[in-house]
Amino acid sequence: MADRRSEQAWRISVDTGGTFTDVVVVDDSGRFTIGKALTTPARIFGGLTAALADAAQKLELSMAEVLARTSIFIYGTTRATNAIVTGSVAKTAFLTTAGFPDILVLREGGKFNPHDFSTPFPKPYIPRRHTFEIEERIGATGKVVKPLDEAQAESVLRDIRALGFEALAVALLWATANPMHERRLATLIEQHLPGVPYTLGHALNPILREYRRASSVAIDASIKPLMQAHLRDLQSDLRDAGYRGELLISTTIGGCIDVESVIERPIHTVRSGPAMGPVAGRRYAALEARAEPALVVDTGGTTFDVSLVRDQHIAITQETWLGERFTGHMLGIPAVDARSVGAGGGSIAWLDDAGLLHVGPHSAGAEPGPACYGRGGTRATVTDAALVLGYLDPEFFLGGRMRLDTDAARRAINGIAALLGISAEQAAYSIFAVSNETMINAIKDITVSEGIDPSEAVIVAGGGAAGLNIVSIARELQCRAVIAPRTASVLSACGMQFSDVQAEASAAAPTRSDAFDRALVNRALADIDARLDEFAARLAARGFDRLSRHYRVDAHYTAQVWDLSVELPSARIEDAAAEEALVEAFHAAHRRVFEVEDRASAVEFLSWTGRLSVSLPDITVVSQGASHEQAPTRRQVWFDLDGAVEATVVRGDALATGAEVSGPAIIEEATTTLILPPGTRARLTTNDSYVIELSA
Amino acid sequence: MTRTHHADGAARRLSPMLLAVLANRFDGVVREMTNTMLRTGRSAVINSARDFSCGITTADNQLFATAEGLPAHTYGLNLQTAAMCAFHDDIAEGDAYLHNDPYSGNSHPADHTLIVPVFWQGQHMFNVCAKAHQADIGNSLPTTYHAAARDIYEEGALIFPAVRVQRGGRNIDDIIRMCQRRIRVPDYWYGDFLAMLAAVRTGEKRIHEVFAKYGAETLARFVTEWFDYSEARMRQAIRNLPAATVERRSAHDPLPPMMPDGIPVHAKVTVDPQAARVVIDLTANIDNMDNGLNLSEACSISNSVAGIFNCLPSDIPRNGGSYRCVEVKLREGAAIGIPRFPHSCSVATTNVSDRLLNTVQAALSDLGEGYGLAEGGIGMGAGFCVISGRDPRHGDHPYVNQLIIGNNGGPASPTCDGWVTYGIPVVAGLMYRDSVEVSELSYPIHYREIRLTTDTMGAGRRRGGPGVEITYGPSDGPMTVVFAADGQVNPARGVRGGGDGNIGAMHVIERDGSRVRAPSVGQIVLDVGMWLNGVETSGGGYGDPLDREPERVREDVLERHATFEHARTVYGVVFNDARLNDALAVDVEATHKQRAALRAARLRAH
Repeated sequence: MADRRSEQAWRISVDTGGTFTDVVVVDDSGRFTIGKALTTPARIFGGLTAALADAAQKLELSMAEVLARTSIFIYGTTRATNAIVTGSVAKTAFLTTAGFPDILVLREGGKFNPHDFSTPFPKPYIPRRHTFEIEERIGATGKVVKPLDEAQAESVLRDIRALGFEALAVALLWATANPMHERRLATLIEQHLPGVPYTLGHALNPILREYRRASSVAIDASIKPLMQAHLRDLQSDLRDAGYRGELLISTTIGGCIDVESVIERPIHTVRSGPAMGPVAGRRYAALEARAEPALVVDTGGTTFDVSLVRDQHIAITQETWLGERFTGHMLGIPAVDARSVGAGGGSIAWLDDAGLLHVGPHSAGAEPGPACYGRGGTRATVTDAALVLGYLDPEFFLGGRMRLDTDAARRAINGIAALLGISAEQAAYSIFAVSNETMINAIKDITVSEGIDPSEAVIVAGGGAAGLNIVSIARELQCRAVIAPRTASVLSACGMQFSDVQAEASAAAPTRSDAFDRALVNRALADIDARLDEFAARLAARGFDRLSRHYRVDAHYTAQVWDLSVELPSARIEDAAAEEALVEAFHAAHRRVFEVEDRASAVEFLSWTGRLSVSLPDITVVSQGASHEQAPTRRQVWFDLDGAVEATVVRGDALATGAEVSGPAIIEEATTTLILPPGTRARLTTNDSYVIELSA
Repeated sequence: MTRTHHADGAARRLSPMLLAVLANRFDGVVREMTNTMLRTGRSAVINSARDFSCGITTADNQLFATAEGLPAHTYGLNLQTAAMCAFHDDIAEGDAYLHNDPYSGNSHPADHTLIVPVFWQGQHMFNVCAKAHQADIGNSLPTTYHAAARDIYEEGALIFPAVRVQRGGRNIDDIIRMCQRRIRVPDYWYGDFLAMLAAVRTGEKRIHEVFAKYGAETLARFVTEWFDYSEARMRQAIRNLPAATVERRSAHDPLPPMMPDGIPVHAKVTVDPQAARVVIDLTANIDNMDNGLNLSEACSISNSVAGIFNCLPSDIPRNGGSYRCVEVKLREGAAIGIPRFPHSCSVATTNVSDRLLNTVQAALSDLGEGYGLAEGGIGMGAGFCVISGRDPRHGDHPYVNQLIIGNNGGPASPTCDGWVTYGIPVVAGLMYRDSVEVSELSYPIHYREIRLTTDTMGAGRRRGGPGVEITYGPSDGPMTVVFAADGQVNPARGVRGGGDGNIGAMHVIERDGSRVRAPSVGQIVLDVGMWLNGVETSGGGYGDPLDREPERVREDVLERHATFEHARTVYGVVFNDARLNDALAVDVEATHKQRAALRAARLRAH
């Protein structure tokens, strides 16, 4: 099997979103073929088959032939995310330390607007009525303060069985310091509720901070029945379709992992889609030999995601919210830091009662959609503005698959223009610019929190709507360049093609730099390694053997509350030199992110994480080249408030590798449109991306 | 108010696009400052409780931009920058000023404020400010809330009336050393100082970038138009209110021996929709007290105006423009007004401020159905005390820290039940709560329980949020606990027929298990084996509980927020079963009868 992986066999990646299923097939020459179909939620394989058939047809092969040539099949799904957001998860019991039943209610506090009293307080992920207090208590040092009352615990478990719970989430205080009570509860659960899935805090996510840990445990347990069934169905459907290769599942940290690992911890599939954007962006930036930090954006109809790649590292966060910050639920496990804001082609423009123009966060969505879709939408959206400005060709939207209604767009924009006392084009440009601001702020937020200046970065643009405004945004932020891959519209599925097999394990081992407990830390690291060894053995047995390990720790100056992640210089902290190197790495990270350091202060180290990575064979991306000839046309386009200019309009599939297009221009692709304002120039590279240099 | 930026008249207006874009840019500047503080702050009151604010004032000292700031901090930065301008005639680029003087615009001495004047092409254009509550300020007692302080001298804080701490971008080390000598946790203080510095210098840099892109002339026009826009939003909101003068009284709990009858709070609010103007008259309040609970001018203004903003659309910008529509009448030498030196304002930002804010928002409910709010849960009880001692786990290193782990429930509004993690009125839910595990790791403390209380919320068509019961003690070595609570005699009031919140209490549990009532203001020492138990308070209700939808009452019963008994006697809701399970249903007919009976009983009682 190892031999087969050493060469570039065919690889399939699938991204099943709420609406569309995207498929990318990469053949042995590195050619990307995209397939798309509507998602079929009841049995996911239906939409998947249709999307795969779409791609196979473009390759002039049967689906069976494509599957037969494929050795790696990577699957990503929003199934878990959707189930959590809509609340259609298993009936789950929450077991926690007696005295602290409200961990999931009280959370970590916080609210956006002090003067807002019309937003209801969020409901806990597991209701209070499904919460059970267990008589026990471990102290901060791991000492048993109150022994587990087994009789009481068994009585609780009998109640849980009688009430028909489908899963159990167990999160006891300080189980990270001493897991004996959680382990004993696991034994009792298996006795009293055999076969009922459960999740333990110390085993899933041994981090400090009870809310985050409990939230991750609750989420994981609640999706176990659903995701286990879902993934087993997929396995058997693929087998029935004749697929004999490896099935990998894409994960929250932008990697992929074998099915069995995910079945044990399904929380790792949550938000795997947005996690894959930066994986794709990282590769596209590397292919263009860009060493700068890369801001990877993914613009759809309703949301704009932005994430960050620096020195080939994708920024990871411990704070991912499902739903809105403060009112959603915290994922609690490390995840790719992909910030989402409600902005996209469907964002609606409106004026407040003092006449200030706003765009979003309300969206016309897919139904009725922007006014120009002609499906009954009457309110002006960003897409309508783009049409009025001449950015979109009404006859060539989505490669001509949908005709846009310019009159309807103009009527909608006129509503705003009349109130502002300006022309329709000026109103359209204003809407466009204000909408860009939301995205600019989202990009600034992530660069600020990572201590990066956007003017040192490049932008990688993904998503169907990104090309409309990304060059304007990049110029506003003074970024160095924009990279717009021609496959941008399926960024997540492309990212899976470039992802590594990855597994992580964490352990809490709090210690301070002024009294560094090497034995404690090295025990934690050994424990992490032991757990990674299990993954490694399983993967090695399947022929994945290009293994590497990295370690990091979450740390802060004493009495700071928010952590910074720091890479460990070595796999163990064996001596004073290694200790010092670690502390120095923290000071350096603090200085980089916050521009200050405090050498007089001790550094507190909390949660330690090891990451096992297995590189899949590299894919060589090849240029598609020009597939047919078509002469450029010209049309009137607005790039500011002052008036229209004549822009060149070219079809992407008529451009040869190395071709350059100078703005004002529009490059039309089948699934996206790239707008080049005057003074900018795009070049189609050998890696099948458009690169727009801005630094000069 | 003067408008020096109005040089070339209003003839050339900004395009609608530029107005929106620049508003967004300045919002982004304050947000970036805020994020910088949040992530670099050292003391828990900053990075956990978010007890800090960032803002921008114009060179002529109008409040220009604040974002996500605490209501208690939103006003006053303009007074402080005005003080800086009044005290110094050599303000230059590269300067930074430290201000914490409650007699010249600050909230209270514990809120250190750093001000950096922003210059463009040699002209002073804006000021950027970062204000943060410090872990310690060198008071005579290890607390930043010295309730008993007879005057500023007994309070003991170092006072900085806009003192220059940086010149040419370099620290003036004399001032830094003074602080480090006097303040109990010099490393936390310096860490927070650096965090504030990072925030204001970032703000300065970003404003320079906006100038570089748009130029001074456009920005001057923007400032004028943004104030006008904000005023227009505020006028529109006030025009939607009925014309009336409403008046309300409340009182802070008794504080024996200083104020055995409590501290009365009075506010008279006149709404004039025709003139689009609100006048808050606070002049009838009592004279300055010989204790630390006097309000500063900034607190008197910001907390009364916050009570108004709480009842208006929440997206109206809070700046010099919207403030033009509100007049606050203050009396010099009043406890709620303008403090006369050397009366202490040590506790100005919380206790009486909480009462003032509650009083104003509840007064607006007297305008009619759908207006105003109930009072929010009140008091910095057991879960908000300042703990101090020595930590035997770290070589007896001293610690001082305010816990932010308790909770009072929020007020009911015309549309919503009270926010649960509300805290106190002046922070209105913005604060983060400490984690039990992080708290136990950071300090020698052990928690026994933190749970929401049942049947305690102010009842109503919309009910208040519940408070918690909390019990903790030292895990290692004696622990000093300093508190200045409220709400243990006078609860948060309900409005428009809504019920009051519960009354809070604190007890010391001795080693033998006996419980001794703790005073609401004071200091105790807990030895290992002793516990402090606090029952915190819930918010008041809005409207008649008998009008609450029975399904909402069912949800409260199922979620254990209310018992069957409470549902029957307070809400008049009767169920088909006495067991708690998902099949529980409202007995519609019995509920109808019960509600009729309760209404009849009320009439008889009158």
